[in-house]
Amino acid sequence: MSRSSTPGSPAGHQAAPHGNRARSFDYPQAGELDDASLDPALAATPGHGGVGVFQAPRPPQRRAAPTEPAPAAPSTRDGADIDSPFLDLFGGAYARPGSAQRGNALPARALPQQAAPAGPAPATHRPTPAAVPAQPSRPAPGTPTARPAEKAGPSTPPAPARVSPPAGDRLPNARPPADDHPTRDTRPAGDTRPARDEAVPVGATTRTSRQAAAPATRATTPPRQRSVDRPTKPVRVRPPKIKFGDRDPAVELAITEIAGHLTFTPNTVTAWYWLPEVRWAFRPDAEREALLSAISEQYAGLAGFRLHLRRTTRPFPADEWARTIDTNTASPLPDVPGTPGWADHLVAAQRHLLSVNHAEGQTYLGVTFARRSLGDSLTERLLRTFGRGVAEGERRKLGRTVEQFDEVLGAFGMRGRRVTAQELEWLLYRSVALCMAPPGALSPITDGRWERGDLLALTEQVERYRTPYGSTVKLVNRMTGEERHVAVLAVGRMEPLEIPERHEPWLHFHERLPWPMELSTRVDILGSGDSFRNLEHRLRMIRSQQLDYAEHGIDAPPELERLAKRALVIGDEMTTGLPVDSARAHGWHRIAVGGRTREECLERARRLIQLYSRELRVSLQHPKNQDWLAREFIPGEPVANTGYVRRMPVHLLAAALPQAASTVGDRRGDLIGRTAGTCRRPVFLDLHFPMEVRERSGLAVFVAEPGGGKSTLLGALGYLAARRGVQVTLLDPSGPLARLCAMPELRPYSRVLNLTGSEHGTLAPYSLIPTPLRSEFGAGAAGDREFEIAVSNARAERRMLVQDICMMLVPPQVAREASTATLFRHAVRQVPAEESSTLDDVVSCLGQLDDDAGRELANLLLDTAEMPLAMLFFGRPPDGLLGPDAALTVITMAGLRLPDLKIEREYWSAEEALALPMLHTAHRLAVRRCYGGSMSSRKLVGLDEAHFMEGWRSGRSFLVRLARDSRKWNLAALVASQNPRDILGLDVQNLVSTVFVGRIAEDAEIASEALRLLRVPVDDGYEATLASLSTADATSASRLGFREFVMRDVDGRVQKVRVDVSYVDGLLDHLDTTPAAIAAAAGVLPTVLPDMEA
Amino acid sequence: MRLRTDDDIYRARLVYLGPPGYTLPVHLPYAQYGLFILLVPLYMFIHWLFTLQVELFPAWEIALAIVTTSFVFRYVDPDRPARMVIRTALTDWRRTREPAAEQRDPRLVGSRIRIREELA
Repeated sequence: MSRSSTPGSPAGHQAAPHGNRARSFDYPQAGELDDASLDPALAATPGHGGVGVFQAPRPPQRRAAPTEPAPAAPSTRDGADIDSPFLDLFGGAYARPGSAQRGNALPARALPQQAAPAGPAPATHRPTPAAVPAQPSRPAPGTPTARPAEKAGPSTPPAPARVSPPAGDRLPNARPPADDHPTRDTRPAGDTRPARDEAVPVGATTRTSRQAAAPATRATTPPRQRSVDRPTKPVRVRPPKIKFGDRDPAVELAITEIAGHLTFTPNTVTAWYWLPEVRWAFRPDAEREALLSAISEQYAGLAGFRLHLRRTTRPFPADEWARTIDTNTASPLPDVPGTPGWADHLVAAQRHLLSVNHAEGQTYLGVTFARRSLGDSLTERLLRTFGRGVAEGERRKLGRTVEQFDEVLGAFGMRGRRVTAQELEWLLYRSVALCMAPPGALSPITDGRWERGDLLALTEQVERYRTPYGSTVKLVNRMTGEERHVAVLAVGRMEPLEIPERHEPWLHFHERLPWPMELSTRVDILGSGDSFRNLEHRLRMIRSQQLDYAEHGIDAPPELERLAKRALVIGDEMTTGLPVDSARAHGWHRIAVGGRTREECLERARRLIQLYSRELRVSLQHPKNQDWLAREFIPGEPVANTGYVRRMPVHLLAAALPQAASTVGDRRGDLIGRTAGTCRRPVFLDLHFPMEVRERSGLAVFVAEPGGGKSTLLGALGYLAARRGVQVTLLDPSGPLARLCAMPELRPYSRVLNLTGSEHGTLAPYSLIPTPLRSEFGAGAAGDREFEIAVSNARAERRMLVQDICMMLVPPQVAREASTATLFRHAVRQVPAEESSTLDDVVSCLGQLDDDAGRELANLLLDTAEMPLAMLFFGRPPDGLLGPDAALTVITMAGLRLPDLKIEREYWSAEEALALPMLHTAHRLAVRRCYGGSMSSRKLVGLDEAHFMEGWRSGRSFLVRLARDSRKWNLAALVASQNPRDILGLDVQNLVSTVFVGRIAEDAEIASEALRLLRVPVDDGYEATLASLSTADATSASRLGFREFVMRDVDGRVQKVRVDVSYVDGLLDHLDTTPAAIAAAAGVLPTVLPDMEA
Repeated sequence: MRLRTDDDIYRARLVYLGPPGYTLPVHLPYAQYGLFILLVPLYMFIHWLFTLQVELFPAWEIALAIVTTSFVFRYVDPDRPARMVIRTALTDWRRTREPAAEQRDPRLVGSRIRIREELA
């Protein structure tokens, strides 16, 4: 009420200071309002501005505001001190308070809108943080109205003048100048401070903290304020002694200085290292064990030091990715009016990225290695007063000692590197603002504006609230109004784990859950001597207890004997084994879970506890004194308590592996989904990345059972590539991908070629293999030679193809005879193997042979030629069949019946028999188009049903040629097949750069071949993983909304991936290949597109 | 690799059975006796504050100390040391359930930390 009592009060533009002050006491009510106001629809209603209106305390109305926003506005306005409805007409005077409010709410509304047209880059982080700033202002008005209501009760209008002082003190800058009581002039602090505070909201540290404390005193001493009421003698009012009922409102962190990668506290020095992520999933167990033992040796090498292992997260920098993909896309598909353009496409992808909340892990390891002498810290204190910090001599000395850690940690295993000062700042900020959103505009890699120390200054804004015996800590960012409840869980009893074989790393495991969490592990590494002494002491205690029992003539509990024996065994291991076996890690492991509300936080904690106890048999405990525990996450702060100390061999600590990750794909391609293994990361795939950056072939293979989602993925990749301006050709024999061409944004740039209705000669085999051009080769004699070789290779390939096609066209009984092959070879040799030759030449050549068998073959071929489909092979191809102009070309063979390869060829119908050569030649045709344009331009060709290539010489040569040419022609080739054996049998797997394996549950043999294709160890249990991909929930009647694949990228990383392209509007509808969907879509989406054929 | 912690060795329950030759009827961990011995003089001191005289056999004090000890140790287990239980009780004694109002903790402020990019 007091805040905006006069229109002139500058309530509007100081959202942050208001929010700051009023947050402290009546927070819960304000919190409820916050939740309601998070709803953007509510925040945007004009009535929301009503809260800022001066009025007598009337809490019930405030409550009504969020629930029914529209009527709330008039009701609050009615409560204004000047009770006139006409005031609305004079916007200038009246609207201020409201507009002030609106000024805060506006960014929330405006930013998302502005994001859409703003193009790729800027749209990224904005929507989320922008919604928040509206908050801080809201609780502020709520507080004063609620409070005085209790105090003053049913006071009459004059009451505000009396009641306002306390509220005004809490919100000094909003206090109406006109209200100023003469008495208050005697309190300089209350009046002058706010003004300065407004001017320097962030910088003035001590002042703001003082002020934040003020409410505490006020609230605890209401009676004194009563006495102030009596306006008799101003003398009686003393300037209030600022007594802190609370503790000091701000405490410095223990860390006093960051120098390079070292942090100094008064007593200790810690060196910090950055541990890069390591791959865990789908690696052979031997490799994993080697990794773990390397890490445990590194830990053992740090014996005698205290370690602080911290894992924090960073939201995925979606904007950075968008910028990358935009730079890598020279000429995106021109926008079609009325459809989402390229920029909209990117914005949608970023929105999607942000909405699924991917977080990247960052792991830091701190080694506390030096105790500082009294002299050192005194010197530092002294030098600090001169603005210089830790003495140079000490730093130089430490610089030498710290090098040993570089050596230990930089080796294979952790491969740690020194952190930079900025990263330490980031870690400190993230630790103070535990589980809170990182500063909005901070996109850690591309930022250029965060100066040194800025992030640390931001820690000033984070307030912490505790409740006695509370199970969460509440953190409030005064600047953004963000509120977080954090529960810190401690690792309790652990059952034995079999880490590489059966269990996941136990501190990586939490990443299965979809929200980001933070880890803090403090351990003392004990070397062999220490740990043996420690254990021996314990053994002696157990023995003495046993002796005690014996002396008293009581049976000792059997566990004592068991434990003593175990201690003996361990002691023996320690004395005789390697130092690695004897080193022990005694320490505390905590996981922090955050939530927007206490309920959400506790629910998350409950799920985490459940997950750990069920899957890993680790019991996570939720101790009291959460505030201490939360503080423990901050580097340099003391350990919260000695409870839940875990004593373990360093092997087990190494197997915690918080830095494990599951990334796959490049970071410059289209967003195709997320990893679905042990953690969630976005997956990007640029199919030209292997050729353009890694200099590998661009052959990508898709293997899955029918229904595994191959075609959909193929179509989605084709669509995304076409959006980026890549020339895409998709061969889809069954035809559903043709509907892609009907998508409005692609329609003008795409066309469908239906082979079943095409002209004669479309598939003429001779012309399917292009003759190389001289210009494709280097100048000089060497180039000439290469060119000649390529030309003769093309000829040989043509002959091979024609022979194979002829063999496919004749009945299998004839094809099996030895003379057939000889005659065909002879005839093909007679015909010049040039592009201009035709199959008719071969037939006539056969007919001219003075051999009955030859004439018979010629007649057989002519017989087949009578079938309409076979006419595609004969004659010359029409000109301009597949020009390079269309961005997306889909070749279909709608209506063609594909034979079942498991059935003998003799039993195929004539049509099925014809499908085989058609598919062969159609594959060639699809690729043929790519040789038309320039060599360096990006091309993509997707070939479905490639398993028909198996068993034919020309098939193998086709794939080899494709893989080989892919680099030269910058051609990404996607080959989908039902059986990995096709690829393995063709022996081209060395040329394969990307592999997608979908669900394979039926055949264990196929599964193990698929694993071979992925280069994942066979018989390690990964077959079950393949079978469990895209498993439908048996209890649900709806269709499975996603498809999962195991993906191997060009860098050899293998990961389970869940394909999700739902962010592209309408794409999934067009790609749906299920019969029901096709039938449903028949009215809307053309299944056969005669009008679109060229 | 089968990996297990050494915690069970440290979790062994060590109890005081009594002086040699005489077994006490109840076997309590050593830590309980320790706490009891600390509590008796504390209660005696509190008693002295009120009455300003010291009793020869502090019966009340012993009784109270026994009750307090058993109460504290109800919450103690190998993972929750007595020190922590007592400390929590002292800081949070006011309520046993989560109350509606929070108490503000001091903010932890890192803005005075000096930063240099390089160590030396």
